[in-house]
Order: sequence, then structure tokens, then C-alpha cells
Amino acid sequence: MSSTDASGLALRLARIDKRFGELQAVRRGELEVRTRLIHAVVGENGAGKSTLLKIAAGIIAADGGDVWVGGELQASYDARRAQTLGVAMVQQHFALFGSLSALENIMLGAEETRGAGFLDRARGRSRAEGVLASLGVELDLDRKVATFGVGDKQRLEIARALYRDARVVILDEPTAVLTPLESTALYATLRRLADDGRAVVVVTHHLDEVEAHADVVTVMRRGETLGTRAVERGTAAVGLLAAEIVGGEPLPELHAQHEPSARPRVEGQPALVKLEVKGLTLGRALRGVSLEVLAGEIVGVAGVLGNGQSELALVLGGLAVPDDGEVLAGAIEVVHEDRQTAGLVLDATVAENLALGDLTRFTRRGLIDDDALATSARERIARFDIRPPDPGALARALSGGNQQKIVLARALAREPAVLVVAHPTRGVDLVAARAIHQQILAAAARGTAVLVIGADLGELRLLCDRILVMLRGRVVASLPPTADDATLGAAMLGREAAA
Amino acid sequence: MSGAGQVVGTLATETVRVTVPYACAALAGVWSEKSGVVNIALEGMLLASALAAVVAEVATGSAVVGVMAAIAVGGGIGAAHAWLVRREVDAIVSGIALNLVAMGGTRFILRALYGSSSNSPAVPGFQGIFAGSSSLLALVVDTLTNPLTLLAVALLFVTRFALTETRLGIRVRAAGEDGAAAASLGLDVPRLRLAAVSLGGCIAGVGGAALAYDQHQFQSGMSGGRGFIALAAVIVSGWRPGRAVLACAAFALLDASQIVFQGQSRVSRDLVTALPYLATLASLAVIGSRSARRTS
Amino acid sequence: MTAPRVGQEAIAVTTALAAAWVAFAVLVWLYGESPLVVARLLFDGTWGTAYGAGQVIFKATPLLCTGVAVFVGLRAGLFNIGGEGQLAIASLAVGIAGHLGFVGALPSFVAVPLLIAVAAVAGGAWALVPAMLRARFGAHEVIGTIMMNRVADSLVGALLGGGLAVAGSVRTADIAPSAHMARLDAVVPALRGSAASTAVFVALVLAVAAAWGFRRTRVGREVVLIGKNPVACEAVHIPVRRRIATALVLSGSAAGLASAGTVLGYKGYFEMGLGAGAGFGGIAVALLGRSSAVGLILAALFFGTLQQGGLAINGHVPREVMNVLEGVVILAVSLSDADVRRTFTRGVVGA
Repeated sequence: MSSTDASGLALRLARIDKRFGELQAVRRGELEVRTRLIHAVVGENGAGKSTLLKIAAGIIAADGGDVWVGGELQASYDARRAQTLGVAMVQQHFALFGSLSALENIMLGAEETRGAGFLDRARGRSRAEGVLASLGVELDLDRKVATFGVGDKQRLEIARALYRDARVVILDEPTAVLTPLESTALYATLRRLADDGRAVVVVTHHLDEVEAHADVVTVMRRGETLGTRAVERGTAAVGLLAAEIVGGEPLPELHAQHEPSARPRVEGQPALVKLEVKGLTLGRALRGVSLEVLAGEIVGVAGVLGNGQSELALVLGGLAVPDDGEVLAGAIEVVHEDRQTAGLVLDATVAENLALGDLTRFTRRGLIDDDALATSARERIARFDIRPPDPGALARALSGGNQQKIVLARALAREPAVLVVAHPTRGVDLVAARAIHQQILAAAARGTAVLVIGADLGELRLLCDRILVMLRGRVVASLPPTADDATLGAAMLGREAAA
Repeated sequence: MSGAGQVVGTLATETVRVTVPYACAALAGVWSEKSGVVNIALEGMLLASALAAVVAEVATGSAVVGVMAAIAVGGGIGAAHAWLVRREVDAIVSGIALNLVAMGGTRFILRALYGSSSNSPAVPGFQGIFAGSSSLLALVVDTLTNPLTLLAVALLFVTRFALTETRLGIRVRAAGEDGAAAASLGLDVPRLRLAAVSLGGCIAGVGGAALAYDQHQFQSGMSGGRGFIALAAVIVSGWRPGRAVLACAAFALLDASQIVFQGQSRVSRDLVTALPYLATLASLAVIGSRSARRTS
Repeated sequence: MTAPRVGQEAIAVTTALAAAWVAFAVLVWLYGESPLVVARLLFDGTWGTAYGAGQVIFKATPLLCTGVAVFVGLRAGLFNIGGEGQLAIASLAVGIAGHLGFVGALPSFVAVPLLIAVAAVAGGAWALVPAMLRARFGAHEVIGTIMMNRVADSLVGALLGGGLAVAGSVRTADIAPSAHMARLDAVVPALRGSAASTAVFVALVLAVAAAWGFRRTRVGREVVLIGKNPVACEAVHIPVRRRIATALVLSGSAAGLASAGTVLGYKGYFEMGLGAGAGFGGIAVALLGRSSAVGLILAALFFGTLQQGGLAINGHVPREVMNVLEGVVILAVSLSDADVRRTFTRGVVGA
């Protein structure tokens, strides 16, 4: 089946609508994907990029609109159909099965069989080896996927897409789990795929990648696609792109590369160490982490995801017991990276969430004082500008940004000596993100020692006095926020930056 | 043959005989769990299919037709379970409800068809070649050549082979490990689960037939907790078909030793009955919560 | 409750009742009887006479207790299906304790509460093993409680056979006269002959107290929050494991209290099989009764009616029809209601 029409148009989405409950995730989305091009789809968190592309891959069904593949309008389109037509997607959360081997994962869904449904492993293996060779990748096909590292898993996902002879390859935030060097290698592979005659779509919020590697870019904002155009090189062009994403005046502080930290310092205070971590060890995730945060200081922890940052947050939050080492601190409050799982009880009210774990304060003789609970909630709602300002609303109904504000408000209300925030603005709209940053800065100004664990280098540069880099369970570098990408990237890989 | 040899021989054959229904139910549990569906309706499957076998044989005079009926009923209960789970009924709730319906339904049908609330008419089942002989050799041969015993053994190997070497098996395992991921790859997860749970139900049906034919009649409540023992065996063995059947054999040995060593005091008999369950509880402490499964 | 919630509850209950009626009619018709005639008999045997009504209350009493037991577990995100075992153990304990010499010497208003406490403690103790397994090892309480049910069978059999039973029987000795809970027909003569006792008040108080406890007490609120998202609660240092274990033990205690109606208020001793079926019936009660005390009470009365009705129609249609109806109601409620559908179990331990 031909997967492109004469003009090289491989896939087209028209007037796509998708709503999840209250949220209109995509509104009249339009996308034209052509062969031989690397097509970037950009927008901030929550703009609808993943949703739109999942619809393109048949993983989600649109509420309205058309999907054209290879010039043919698809009447009923699902993942199975997409696969037959040669559309494959490498998702953010890999669709891999740990208990199966790499070969089985690659073959799954497109298995070679002989006779009545018996797997033909020999044929599958030779085909898989061919695909891996064309990608220049080496993987042990018989190993269980659960043992693979993140980079290998991603390579396996791409290999599977090629095994199914995908003509349209979509990747959702592929570089979130890669070092800068690995990202470059990935784009080299993608360029090869495009040169081969395929269409490549990359969903990303890293504009520097777009500027360096993509041919065309589509901007999405709040569920709408704002048009597609060729990518222009140069910082000015990137700035314009950023402005379009945000929808107003360019906001330099969120995209600046070398902005020095502009926080008011707490003058004349002795440098009191509020958080001291010594030789923290936890299985293979943490192998002797040591760090220090002073009162009023904001220290960032950067690094490719999966090098121990999550485990560090868990240990500091008291949710994981370390094998060795110690944590010396007063009261620590942790805002975990996954607010929907570890931060909020979605089916409870805003008031209950604000007081979660603190209900003793609203208890008189064993009974809950609901009025006091509501009053306290209202006060915090006002202070943190949580919307809608209704203590009785279910947390589930609030936007990501407001949900995050609840978790932060709760942590700060206990006036901890140490505040740890992991990925503070993930999935949060711009306005809320700014408010959250303000709160973090204000906490530091009050003398709280703050540790920000994040993947977004721009955010870390904005907030932090120092940026630590974690690699394989250890802190391997401490850099100023003015350090450039090359230096940070090298540290994340464990090498010296090229001179 | 010496007295000790006689005892061992009898014990061994009794164990084999008793293992068959356990093992079939256990394999049903394995198929279901591998596809991601919790199945505690094993008890109901055994009971209902046992009745089906007897009813069919009484009606047609053919033991083979009885087995087919049992397979159909077992598979039907499996299909119902899978359907309910697909409609977002919690798998445990569905299992409990199906067990209740099977329990009440079998007694109801028993009374409706045969006017008795405890027994059905007798059926010959699969008579061995040496039926009626009381020699040990006859017992051994008859047990080992019983068609249902052989079928159960075959089903064990079929299960192991299918799960690793067929397209269906590997897709079922994927659906069980991560249903959402499997769906995004284009697999029809609900259909895979329906197939696996129904297939398991059919296997359980064989066990139900074996149960009924062994007693040559259907007795009210004759599954007697075997479905839960099979569940215990499956858990204790970590959902591996071969080991599950071994665990079933171990539990069957306990049963058989009660039958063979009669005259034991009530207390030690009850203790022996409780052993499989105590073993499962102990293993729960060991296994803990290695992985969390969901039916979506 | 908000308007949509009420509507949803109403739909779930209506669907369940409709499904029960359809299933009943089909089964009766298949058996060769007229559904309307049998239904009339069912009514006559239950609410048609004062005796019948009393019997319904008698049957409903343990069901309400086990229904509360399942409800308590559900609030915490647990599924306690060990009601059968918990109530069997508690019944045995009460039967033994009620016969003890010093109990016989106590006045009634001391003996009865004492025995009720014994029932609660015994039921809770039987839930302790699965509770510990869940708290310490994360093992799924469904399997744990199922296994404990079977172990209870064996233990009860072993103890009765091993000397606790009256010689030649499978029952314990009679409890002291002062330990009995008065029959209701002593107060309400119209209910003459029925087995309903003051135990029904124990059940009613239990239901109201449980619902109130979850709403108004701090520990209760925390348990409900844990039931909705244990991870978030753990992150703010609520002692999740302890609360879950407590909930499961209290659930077992509630199930144990069912023995008040069967042993203290009716037989005056414990025998094998007394109260069997109430554990699973409690699941049906909890699912149909939703999350309110009133709902649980009404659901218990409904299933009590079915059980008593089954006896009344047993000459025409096997009373096992009622087991089928129980299953049908459970499924109907589950299918029609999104809340119940939203899974409250993690799934059993998997490989």
C-alpha cells in the first residue's frame, strides 16, 4: 500500500478535536506531514502535542476531524490500522514488555509465524538483526527487556518501528531521557530515516533541538495548531518561535541561556547548613550521594532522568530507606514529581488536600472540625491564587498548575527548614509556572534551604545558585547557573567538555 | 506385593486421580492471570462443569459428550467473566458473583432435573479396562490410562508451549503485563483476554468432568473448595504452569493420604486439610507484592 | 450528596432490583411454576405476616454486620471477603465463652456486652493475619482472607472434634441463660415465634457508628483518603500501613458481631455451619447498600427478605434460587455503577 501521495504527503490531520472531560486537549488541529523531512511539533507542556500525535498514530480516537494517510481518508482509524498503513509512534512511556525478550518485543504485533500461529523466531531474528544493523545499533535480542537501560529501550522502540516498515515515524519527547550527545546521535539516525524516504515527526519542547535538526516546525498552543513553516536558523528565529508558543511578548527569563540568577540575596546572614546529605546509598540507584544546601540557598540537581534523582527525592521524603549514609536536616518537605500519584488525592476536596497529613490540627477530641478546615483552606487558596477558589471542589477538577499550587502550598505551610521540589512546573501552564517560581524564590528569601530536582535546564538556570549534576547515583559536578550547554552536557555524561 | 508397596502404590494412584481437577483449575487460573485478568471463579467453573458433564451423559449416554458439555460450560463461565471484566466490573467481584451463581444454580438445576437436592443419578464416566478389579495393578493402569488424566497432562504441555512459542501466547502475555501498551501496538486486548480466560475455562471444564466422573455422579457442592486450592497452588507457584501443577500434586497428595490413611483423628485430618491454605499464606509473606496487576 | 450522585445511586439500585426480579421470574418459570404465584408466596412468607417480618429481621441482622464489615474494608481500599471465616471463629469463641462458669454467674447486662466484645475481638483477631500480611508484605488481602476462610473451616472442625463439642455432636455446649440476648417477641408480641432478637440493635448501632466514624473522626477521614490514594497519603507521612491494618481488623470485628444474632440471640450455642453464607451475603449488602448507613440497612433487609423468602417457597422452588439472585444483584449493581467499577483492588499478587 502506498503511504504517500504524489506530493510526498504521508499523513494529514484536519479539524481534529479531542476533549478529556472538562479539558479541550485539541481544538481544530491541523497537521501535514511530508516524507524526507524531520517535522518538529513544539509547544509547552499541556499544549496538546502528545494528544494530537497519538491521534495520528491511532492510539487515541479523535472526537471529530479527519485522518488521511497516504492520500486516503481513513474511515475508522485505530492502532492496528495505523500499523498496517505504516504509521508508528515511539511514546514517552515506552510500550515495551519487561518480561519478554528484545526479540519478542520487536516482533510483537507483527510476528513472523509458520504453520498455525507458531512463532518463527529464526525469520524474526534475521529481520530484526537487519533492522538493528541499518540503525547501527547493537542489542542482545535474547535479553529480557526489563534489564535494558533507558537509551537501549528507546533504540529498541525505534527498531520496532522499522521492523514494521513504518513510513511515518513519530517520536514523543525522545530526548527527555538522553544526554546532549545521545540526542545528537538520535537526530543523526532520524536524518537517515528521513533520507530513506520516510516521514519523521518529533514532538518536543526543546527549541534548540528544533533549530539545529528539524526541517519544518508546527507550533501548538492550548490545543490549537498555529501553522507550519520551515525552520530558520539563528537565535532570533528561536526567540520568535518561543514567543509564538507563549502567545505574547517573548519572555526572556524562561528561555534565556545565560541569565544570571537575579534573586535578592539574604544579606548579612551566616551561611547555615540546613540540609546535609552524606554518602547516601540505595541499591544501585544511589551510590554515595553527598551534598549540602545552606539556608536561603537554591541548589539544583540536573542530570539525565534515571540517574538517581527520583530516588533521592524519595529518600529525602522519607518514602525510601537508604542502605547507607545519612541525611542531616530539620523538617524536610518534598513536592514529588508526580503530583497526581504522590501529591494529591484527586477524589478529595481542595481543603482536604491542603490539610493532608495535617488533620490533627483540625481535630477536636478526635472529631474533625470542618469549618476550621475550610477557613484555613480559603486562606491558603487566596495566598497561592488557587483557582477555582472553592475549598469544596474536588482536586481532580483543577488544572495541572493549580493542582501543583496545592501541593506546594501544603509543603510551604509547614514552614520547613528544607524544601525539595521535583520537576516543579511539569505539565503546568506558563502563568502558574511563574507563580510557582515566585513562591520558591520567596521561600528561599525567608531562609528555607531549597533543592530543585529538575530536567529543564532553563528552569534550573533561572532559579538556582548552584547546579549539581547527578550521574549514575552520584553527584559528579557542581556548576554555576551560567555554565553553558556543552559544559552541563559533558558533566551529565561524565566527561570533560571539549575544549 | 508387600504391604508397604501396596500402600505407596495406592497413594500414588490416588494422588494422580485427585490431582486432575486441581491441575485443570490451576491451568485455568494461569491462563487468566497471564492475560491480566484475576480469576477467583475457578470453584464455580469446576462445579458447573461437573454438573454439565453428568447432565449431558445422563441425557445422551455418552461420556465423551459429557466432557464436551463440561468444556463448553467451563468456557462459557470464562467468557462471562472476561465480558464482565471488560465492562469494568471488578474482577474479584465478578469472580465472587459467578461462584454464587454457580453454587445456587447447580443446586437449582439438580433439583429441577432430578428432584434431589444432593445427588444426581449415577453415570459410568470413563470406566477403566479393569473396572471392578481390586488389584493394585488394575488401579494403576486404569488411573494412568484414564482419558481425562491423559488429557490433563496434555493440556499442561500445551499450555506451556502455547504461552512461549505461539503468537497467541506471546500476545496474551503482553496484554497481561501492560494492557495499554499492548493496545497502542495494535493488539486487541479485550479479545486476547476473552480468548485466554475462556480457554482456561475450557480446561477447567475438563477438571470438572474428571471430578464428576470420578465419583460417578454429581453431588451438591462437590467442588468442595478445590477451586480455591487450585488458586492457592497457582499463587504459590508464581503463576508458572508446570510448578502450579506440581503444587497441585503436592496438595493432592495430602488429600490422598487422608483417603488412604483413614481412621485418623479428626484433628489431624482437619490440619492436613488446612495445609495448602497455610502454605499459601506463608508464601504470600515471601512473594509479597512483587508486581501489581490491573485489569486494564 | 449532589444531585448527579443521587441519580446514579438510584439507577444502580433500580437496575439491581429489576435484574433480580427478571432472574427470579426466569428461574421460577423454568422450574415450571408461576413467577407471580411464587412471588406472592414469598411476600406472604416474609412481610405478609408478623412472624415472617420477624424472621426477615432475624436473617438481616448478621447480614447487616457482615455488610458493614465489607463496607469498612472498601472505604480503606480493601476487599475483605473473609467474613465467613471471621464470623465462624467469632461464633465459636462466643459459644465457648458463653458457657464458661464465671460468665454464668454474671448478670445479663454484664454478660451480654462481654460476649459481644468477645465476638468483636475474635473476628478482629481472625482478620489480623491477612492484615499483617498486607501491612508488612503488601500481600493482597483478597487472597489472604479467602485462605483464612478455609483455615477457619478446618480449625473449627478440629476444635469441635477435638473436644470442644458436646459429645456426639458438632455443637458447643449451651451458653449460660444470662448470656442470651432477648428475643424481640418478648417485647413485640406480634413477632411471636420469630428468631429476631435484640441483636438487631447491635447491628443497627454498628452500621450507624461505622458511617459516622468515617465522616466525622480524624482516623476515619484518613482511612477514606488512604482508600482513594494511599501513595499520596504515605508521602505526607500518614501511617498508611497502620491505618489499613486497623481498618481490616475492625472489618473483621464487624463480621464477628454477626454472631450476636446467631448464637446469642437464637441458638444459644454454636454449631458447624451456623451463619454460613452471611460472609458472602455481606458483600452483596455492601455493594447494594452503597456508602450510607441507611443504604446498608435497607440492603440487609432486602437480602434478609430473599433468604427468608427462599425458605418460604422452598416447597415450590429450590431456595438456592436466592443464591443466584445474590450473584445477579452483585453483578447488576457493578455493571450499572461507575463508582463501583472504578477498581478498588490492585489485583492479586502477580508474577
